[in-house]
Amino acid sequence: MRGILRSLALGAAACVLSAQTSPLLDILTAELDRNFKVLKEKGDPAPYFLAYAVSDTETRLVSATLGFLEGKSANRSRLLDVTVRVGTPQLDNYHRLPGDRPRFSAAVPIPLEDLPAPVRQIAWLETDRTYREAVQRLIRIRTSTQVKPAEEDPSPDFSIEPPEKYVERWEPLQFPAALWEDRVRKWSAALGRRREILVSSVTVFAQRETKYYTTSEGTRLQHGRALARIVISARGRAPDGMELSVGETFEAETPDRLPPDKAVMEAIERVARNLAALERAPEAEPFAGPAILSGRAAGVFFHEIFGHRIEGHRQKDESEGQTFAKSLGTKVLPEFLSVIFDPTRRSLNGVDLNGYYLYDDEGVKARPVVVVENGILKTFLMSRSPVRGVERSNGHGRRQPGFEVVSRQSNLIVESSRRVPEKKLREMLLEEVRRQNKPYGLYFEEVTGGFTQTARRGLQAFAVIPILVYRVYPDGRPDELVRGADIVGTPLASFSKILATGDSLEIFNGFCGAESGSVPVAAVAPAILVSEIEIQKRETSQERPPLLPRPDLGSGLFR
Amino acid sequence: MRMPGHVAAVALLALASGQGQTQEPDVILRALQDEVTRTLQLQLPGLERPYYAEFALHDGESFAVSATLGGTVARRNNRFRLPSVQVRVGGYEFDNTNYVFSDFAFGARDAGRPPLEDSYLALRHFFWLAGDAAYKAAVQAIARKRAALKNVTVTENLPDFYRAEPFQIRNETPRMHVDEEQWAAVVRRVSSEFADFRHLIRSGADFEIVQSDYYFVNTEGTTCRVPERLVHLRLHAMALAGDGMSVRDAVTFLAREPDGMPAESELREAARKLALRVTELSQAPVGEPYTGPVLFEGEAAGQMFAEILGRNLAARRRPVGEPGRPLPFQSGEFEGRVGSRVLPDWMDVVDDPTQAEWRGRPLLGHYLADLEGVPPSPVRLVERGILRSFLLTRQPVAGFSASNGRARLPGGFGHKTAWFGNLFVQAAEASPLEELKKKFVSLFRARNLPYGIIVRKMDYPSSASVDEVRRLLARTAQAGDGGRPVSLPLLVYRLYPDGREELVRGLRFRGFSARALRDIVAASVETFVFEYLENGAPFALSGASGFVAESTVIAPSVVFEELQLERAQEQVPTPPVVPPPSLTLRR
Repeated sequence: MRGILRSLALGAAACVLSAQTSPLLDILTAELDRNFKVLKEKGDPAPYFLAYAVSDTETRLVSATLGFLEGKSANRSRLLDVTVRVGTPQLDNYHRLPGDRPRFSAAVPIPLEDLPAPVRQIAWLETDRTYREAVQRLIRIRTSTQVKPAEEDPSPDFSIEPPEKYVERWEPLQFPAALWEDRVRKWSAALGRRREILVSSVTVFAQRETKYYTTSEGTRLQHGRALARIVISARGRAPDGMELSVGETFEAETPDRLPPDKAVMEAIERVARNLAALERAPEAEPFAGPAILSGRAAGVFFHEIFGHRIEGHRQKDESEGQTFAKSLGTKVLPEFLSVIFDPTRRSLNGVDLNGYYLYDDEGVKARPVVVVENGILKTFLMSRSPVRGVERSNGHGRRQPGFEVVSRQSNLIVESSRRVPEKKLREMLLEEVRRQNKPYGLYFEEVTGGFTQTARRGLQAFAVIPILVYRVYPDGRPDELVRGADIVGTPLASFSKILATGDSLEIFNGFCGAESGSVPVAAVAPAILVSEIEIQKRETSQERPPLLPRPDLGSGLFR
Repeated sequence: MRMPGHVAAVALLALASGQGQTQEPDVILRALQDEVTRTLQLQLPGLERPYYAEFALHDGESFAVSATLGGTVARRNNRFRLPSVQVRVGGYEFDNTNYVFSDFAFGARDAGRPPLEDSYLALRHFFWLAGDAAYKAAVQAIARKRAALKNVTVTENLPDFYRAEPFQIRNETPRMHVDEEQWAAVVRRVSSEFADFRHLIRSGADFEIVQSDYYFVNTEGTTCRVPERLVHLRLHAMALAGDGMSVRDAVTFLAREPDGMPAESELREAARKLALRVTELSQAPVGEPYTGPVLFEGEAAGQMFAEILGRNLAARRRPVGEPGRPLPFQSGEFEGRVGSRVLPDWMDVVDDPTQAEWRGRPLLGHYLADLEGVPPSPVRLVERGILRSFLLTRQPVAGFSASNGRARLPGGFGHKTAWFGNLFVQAAEASPLEELKKKFVSLFRARNLPYGIIVRKMDYPSSASVDEVRRLLARTAQAGDGGRPVSLPLLVYRLYPDGREELVRGLRFRGFSARALRDIVAASVETFVFEYLENGAPFALSGASGFVAESTVIAPSVVFEELQLERAQEQVPTPPVVPPPSLTLRR
């Protein structure tokens, strides 16, 4: 049933505010109007924008280890975030100052029932608190901008966008707990049986979020989405003490759309086999040379190394790298590559995409955004915070409740016009190995992303951490798994060294953490061949594996 | 009530298990015992084996619901198993603890989580990894401690761990069924009582029931399973005074089981009384700075003793530090004062967690074994005003030789923190409250004061916001009067010589420390039973820590000869621009 609806998703997004009223949206709007009116009249300075956002989230989780439940939870919360803007769109309390990131949101709980009295009291108090802080920061900004020399980017602080109205009825989360408990018990027993594995778990997580958003500009939104996830995780330790970690995940919108038992059991087998292989694998050696990144690995690369750098707010913040701030209209990738961010894409090849949404967290309608077309940088991912050269939002202002919106990624899709079959791509790798006179090339099958915080108080480095890396030999020897490879530096340069891509798209679904919290995203890419990437040995703990044998060894295993 | 079965020999035999012995029927205890025994075999080449290990598990479930003005703002079910593991290398005289890095993990180690279901092997698997990690951390800690001791001199030569008699207790109390829907509805209804009071800007009711069991085994042969049951309901309200100052109060109900809670009608009545009191507070004048006699009446006396006396009754030991680095340690006010006067010579203090009830009323501070598996014994802490003893864990301190079973909260440097159970504050010279008040009047009149100050409630445990607590701590640090942070007096009255009382707001104590306890000049015959949850946080801030020690203070009302009060807030925020919404709005 949902499958049919899926193809109509774009059409459905065009609905207008329907007759079905939402009590909560009405309660919030009434209190918003009352507060905005009085603050407009009596506030000094008066606000020019007020927004209430409520995230109503229901989550269920079951997790098991060694065949037994280790975690189980069911939660529902409604969290309110109030946004007040004082000053003018040109200069307001959200103005960026180096090393000083605005933070007004507090994600305060409101009742789960649609009751006017408590909701309005909490919204009123939170508006008062946020307004006071907004005024204080505006005064500080005005002083600071008068003191400091002119900023490089004179863009305003807030863009004008059309109000949106849309109300979507949302089904409650369906999660047959007993069924999933049985499954995670069975799956975790299969995983834990492997003696190489020290700590392991299988977790199933399901969430339904409904977002309510109402603003003094007249935007009224009620919309939501669901997310479900299976996470298989296994950790072990090589004889020399290196910590090893392997995992696989499956994502879908709802639990019933998660893959069948057989697919999960196969993944568990792979995880167990890969961890065992890693324990026996030789350590990586420092190396610079050609490599293939699998489609999933390439997706993570694009997300971490490229995607975060074309988020709009980073072009404006003088404490950021601003890699591409002045690159609009110039070539930033090989001409055979295009990069599209499409939050309206709900699924691909039968797999639901994590970065799907109808409206962003500033109530701006989602739309596909071509960021790079044939290698040329066309625009940035934009929230309602304009940057030089891009004045309007393109529906990528996102956040987790309790954080302030910044521009974030959605579904990243890499398109290539230089596609070759995977087999041919491998041949091209070996040719490159011979041409560069290297002993081998590398194949990155699985990588994971992450960000690191530096002393400069910003999110500086979005890192890529290899999990499964193989040496590919030109002499016909089988590929050799190595462990503990770390990518050297920031491999942005590798993007200019992309020679060709594979011809099939792979999907990486995940959650991206950055300054506006954790948001669901996807990255879709073909495998890529790069002429050079540099790796080094990972620094790792030298702690011994456990000194005593596993308690169950020789005792007939679990259950 | 103390349990029998103090049988060391049996315990040791059970540990040697394997062949011939009856198998431990409790799967959790069996898994813990079998794995903790194996821990003694841990050995890194060339390094020492553990001489002691303990494994513990809090196994339980909780249900919590919070409501404001009739709406549910939070509802939570939690099934938990919280493990704790300790491994000691060296010996009782010198080991890896009592050193600044004793609790340091020395590298990333992760044993995962213990199973929530009773699997012997999965439990052992978890403790196998946790014990391994704890051993490796212990050998690193002892090596570093030895190195540090090459460069620092320790003035006192104390052992690192008290020996304790093996203790066995198995109290299998069944868990009760909790009607969650019913409690959720009661909490919503009670919270809606506040809707009739327009001055309140925040209000609510929080309910929580925790049913858990504490499992503890060690390599000395101690085996414990003791129940932990608690029902907790708190009503809170806040109002704004005309000048923008916020005033608040809260009422807490505690019991071991749901039946111990007041009926809904009583809760509603309590909510209305609280609302009236907070409204009254918001309309009360701001108090003036005051130096003179202060009467702590009823609950406030119990709260004051819990905070000012209680926190100094636990023995504290300075850890071995790293040369040249500051020690993260603050000594207690009673350090080195055993044998000195800390109270007037007509007062005694006894802590007796073995008393399950007092005058027909169950006591919350009663427990069977502490976190180290040591049963508590009654302790005379203060005799005729003289400090005689401390509350002790198995952490050795100067002048004592064994734990008295008071390890009740997590601690630092490889040890637990001591706290009291049922603290009896006794006055040999006491007069009925009415006479005490007359005495009080003559005291402040003798000093030509127009009124005396009565405190009827302290903010302890505190219902403040974390921000407010931070501000309070910062102000105390800046005050420079040598005082330690003391919670705010919430209900402060001026008593005039004609018996008239006047509520005032916005005062706090200045320089109030344990030293002042010697200046108690009178006490009442009547005693008040104050029960609360201690969590080790400043002002025992509600919700600041998941670990609580249920505590009782039985104390008379007391008069201090002289205390100082000053304005609590130098500046108050301006009132909100937007008036509050009407609360009579119904759907």
